[in-house]
Amino acid sequence: MMLALICLLQILLPSAHAAAGDFTVTAPKYGGGLALDLAWSAQPNASGYLVLRSSAEGAWEIVVETPLPAEATEYTDQVTPDPEVNPPLDAYTYRVASLTSASPTFPKRAPAAENATDEEMAAREADFQRSLEAYTQSILTGGDLTAPVIGAPKGAWLNLTPGYILLFVMIISVGVMMNVFAARARRGEEIFIRRISGIDAIEEGIGRATEMGRPILYVPGIDELQDIQTIASMLILGQVAEKVAEYQSDIVVSCCIPIVREVADEVVKAGYYQAGFPDAYNPANTRFISSEQFAFCAGTNGIILREKPATNIYFGRFFAESLILAETGFVNKSIQIAGTAEATQLPFFIAACDYTLIGEELFAVSAYLSRDPRLISSLKASDWVKVFVVVSLLVGSLLATLGSDLVVQLYTIGH
Amino acid sequence: MRSTIPLIISLVVGLLMVGEFFIPHWRYHLLTENLLEWGVIVSAGAFFLGLINLIQVNLPKILERQEDWQYKVVMMVGLVATLIAGFSGGDQRISDGYAYRWIYDFILVPLNATMFALLAFYIASAAFRAFRARNLDATILLTAAIIVMVARVPAGEMLGQAISGFFSSILGDWTLIFLPENFLSQFMNWLMDVPNTAARRAIFVGAALGAVATGLRIILGIERSHLGAD
Amino acid sequence: MYNFLVRFQNLDRRWIFVGMALSILIPMLFPVSFPFRVDQRVQDLYDTVDELPDGSKVFLSADFDPASRPELEPFFRANLHHLFRKDIQIVSATLWPSAPPLVLPIMKEIAEKHGKVYGEDWVFLGFKDGKELAIKSIGENIPKAFPKDFEGTDITTLPIMSGVRQAKDFPLIVSVSAGFPGTQEYVLQIQGQYSLDIVSSCTAVSGPDYIPFFKAGQLRGLSAGIPGSAHYEQLVFPDGPPEGTRLLGIAGYNVLSLGHLFIVLLIIAGNIAYFLTTPREEA
Repeated sequence: MMLALICLLQILLPSAHAAAGDFTVTAPKYGGGLALDLAWSAQPNASGYLVLRSSAEGAWEIVVETPLPAEATEYTDQVTPDPEVNPPLDAYTYRVASLTSASPTFPKRAPAAENATDEEMAAREADFQRSLEAYTQSILTGGDLTAPVIGAPKGAWLNLTPGYILLFVMIISVGVMMNVFAARARRGEEIFIRRISGIDAIEEGIGRATEMGRPILYVPGIDELQDIQTIASMLILGQVAEKVAEYQSDIVVSCCIPIVREVADEVVKAGYYQAGFPDAYNPANTRFISSEQFAFCAGTNGIILREKPATNIYFGRFFAESLILAETGFVNKSIQIAGTAEATQLPFFIAACDYTLIGEELFAVSAYLSRDPRLISSLKASDWVKVFVVVSLLVGSLLATLGSDLVVQLYTIGH
Repeated sequence: MRSTIPLIISLVVGLLMVGEFFIPHWRYHLLTENLLEWGVIVSAGAFFLGLINLIQVNLPKILERQEDWQYKVVMMVGLVATLIAGFSGGDQRISDGYAYRWIYDFILVPLNATMFALLAFYIASAAFRAFRARNLDATILLTAAIIVMVARVPAGEMLGQAISGFFSSILGDWTLIFLPENFLSQFMNWLMDVPNTAARRAIFVGAALGAVATGLRIILGIERSHLGAD
Repeated sequence: MYNFLVRFQNLDRRWIFVGMALSILIPMLFPVSFPFRVDQRVQDLYDTVDELPDGSKVFLSADFDPASRPELEPFFRANLHHLFRKDIQIVSATLWPSAPPLVLPIMKEIAEKHGKVYGEDWVFLGFKDGKELAIKSIGENIPKAFPKDFEGTDITTLPIMSGVRQAKDFPLIVSVSAGFPGTQEYVLQIQGQYSLDIVSSCTAVSGPDYIPFFKAGQLRGLSAGIPGSAHYEQLVFPDGPPEGTRLLGIAGYNVLSLGHLFIVLLIIAGNIAYFLTTPREEA
C-alpha cells in the first residue's frame, strides 16, 4: 500500500532535470505545466542577461522582452501564451547569454507615428522582428552563452503543499461531520442551536405585516447569483415565502441582478406551492429594478415609500446602498431585519435596523428556520471546524512566539 | 427528474470548480476556464431577461394608468434612449460627442453622485439616533466611533495636539509619555490595527466556514429550495 | 429645559441634514487648510510604487464609478502621474461597467501631459464582465480575457503587451477599488495563488476590511478614502501640484474635517441630553 502510494506520488509530482554547471532549468514543484524556472549564478562584469529558448525542431528565440538586469539570477518562462491553441511541448532547450558593455545593443521598436494605420503598425512590427532575429543570431555566434539545458514542463495533478492539504482536510471534515451529526439527529438526538433573535423576528415581522395589511419587502443583496451570500439569501427566501403564503400576506422581492430575479421568482413560487396556496403567487411581485447600484437603491426606496411594507428583510451582500435603504425603511416605520457577511456594511445595519445578523449567522438562517436535521448538522460541523481553527491559531501564536513557524507554514497557501 | 438533473449538474460542476483550486495541471484549468466562460455568458445573457422583466412589470402599469404611472414613463423613455445611444455608438460610444457619453456625463454621473452623497446625511442622522450610551457595549461603540472620526481628519489631529499641549503645560512634560502630540492618531491606529483587525478576521473565518457549509449543502443536494417548485 | 432635551433627542432629521450641509458647504466656500501627517500604510504604498525599476510594467485595475470619484479619483490621478514620471508602462482595465467613460479620459489627459504614447506606454483594455471570474481570467490569461483593447485593437499587436500574459508577469498590481469586485477579490482569487504584489486604494468604508490583508502582507500598501488620497498626493507632489493640476484629495480632506466634527458634536450633545433626561424617566 505504501509502495503504491509512493509510486503514485512519483507519477503525480513533477521532476526536474539535471543542471549544467550553475545554470538549472526546473519545473515548479506544483506548477500547472506551463512554466519553467531558470536559475543561474551572476557573472562578474555582466551588464545584463538574455534567455534563449529552442524547441526540438525550432530555431532559437529570445524570450525576454528586454535584457534582464545585471543582478538577475532567475527567470520564469511561460512556455506558451495560450495552451489551448499551442499546447506546451514535452521539452525545451535553454541558454542564458551574459551581456557586457561590448555586446550589441538590444533592438527596440521604432516610435509609432501619430495616427499610424494598421498596415504601418504591422510593418513596424515586422521590422522589429527582423532586427530581433539578426540580433539573436549575433548573440548565438559571438555571445557568452551557457551550455544548453533541457527543461520539461510537467504539470502536477495534485497540489500537496501542506496548506492545500489542510484546506482539503477541513472541507472533507465539514462534509463527514455533517453526515455524523445528521445520523445522530435521525436517531432522535437533540441538536442544540442558540437562539438568534433576528431570525425569531422574521416570523413576528410576517405576522405584523399580515395584521397591518401591508406587504413584506425582501432584498437579496446586490451581488451576482454565484456569490455565496446571494445563494444563502435565496435559500432563506424560499422559507420566508412559504411562511408569507401561510399567513396569506404578500411578499415583494426587489432584485438588482436579472438572473437573481429569475431564481427568486422560482423560489417564491415554490414557497407558495409548498404552503398550499399556488394561486396566491403573484409574479409581478418579484421585480428586477436595475443592475446599477444606486438606481436599484432609488427604485427600492420607491417601493418602500409607495407600497409601505411593514417588514423589510435585507439578507445578502450589500454595499453603499445599505444605509440608504435602511434609513428609508426607518422613515417608513418598518421593522427591519438585516443579515450580511459584508463587514463594511454591518455598522450601518446595526445603527439603522432593528435586528442584524452578523457574518455566519446569515448562513445559519435557512437551517434555523427549517429545523431540518440535515441542515442543522451542517451548522454543527462548521462549528467544530471553527473550534479546530481557533485551537490551531492559539497553538500557532504560541509556537510563533517561541520561534517556530510550523503552524504558519501549515496555513500558507501559494508560495 | 426535474430536480434530479439539476442536482447532478450541481454536484459535478461544484466538484469540478472546487477541484480547480487543488489541481494545478493546465489541462484541468482549460476545462474550468471554459466553465467560467460559460458562467460569464449566462450572466450576460440574463440581462435580456431583466430587460423583458422591466417591460413586463412597468408597461402594464403605464397602459392601465396605475398609481405613479408617470414615473414609469420616465423610466421607459430612459431605458429606450440609453439602449439606442449604446447600440448606435459602437466601440466609440464612450468618446466625446456621442449620445451615450452625454447620458453618462450629464445624467448617470450626477444622479450617482447625488445618491452617494445622501450617505453623508444619513450617517449623521443614523449616528445621532443610534449612538447612545445605553449600556456598556453601546458606550464602547460610541467611544470608538468618536475617537476614529476625530483622529481621521487633520482638524482632529490638531485637537489632539492642543489637548496634549494643554496637559503638558499644566502638569509638565512627563505627561507627553502618556499623551504625546499624536496620541489620538496612535490610539486610532491601534483601534484599527488590533481590535478591528481581530474582529474582521473573526468575521472572515466564521463567514468562510459558513460559506463552505452552505456550498457543501448545495453541491451535495441537501439544500434544494433554490431549485424552485417541483 | 427637560422638555427641550427630550425634544432634542427626537430632533427632526431635516435639522441634522441642514447642519451637515452647512458643515460641508462652509469650508468649500471658504477653504481652510490643516497640516497632516502621512499614514504609514500610504507611505508603504508610495514606497512600493517608487521602488519599481523605471521602465517596468504595472497592471492597474480602475474599478470605481461616479459615486466614488471624490474618494478615488484624486488617488488615481496622482498614481498615474507617479507611474508615468518613472516611465512605468501601464496596462489598465476595469471590472465595473460604468468606469470606462470615467477612467479613459483621465488616463488620456495625464498620459498626454507626460508625452506617453498609447499602445507603447499605456493601454486601456476596457471593461470585462464576470467579476471574480474576470479576475481569475486576469490571473490566468490576460489576452484571453481581453482579446481586444477598448478601441477594438487586437492586443497581441500592441507593443506594451508583449511579454505579459498573466497577472504574475507584472511586478505590481494597483487596485483602485470602490467595492465589489475589487481589491478583496484580487487578494482572495489570485494574490496568494500567484504570490502577487498588490497595492490598493479603496473607499474609506472598505479600509478597515483591507487592513487585515495589509497586516498579513497580502497588500503592500493601502490608501483608504479621501484621507488616503490626500496623503498620497502629498507624497507624489511634495512641492505642490504641477501647473493645471488641482489636488482634490487634499482639498476634500480639509472639508471632511468639519463634517466629522459636526457628527461628533451631534453624538456628544445627544448623549448629554440622554443622560440628563434618563434619571427623571427612570424615576
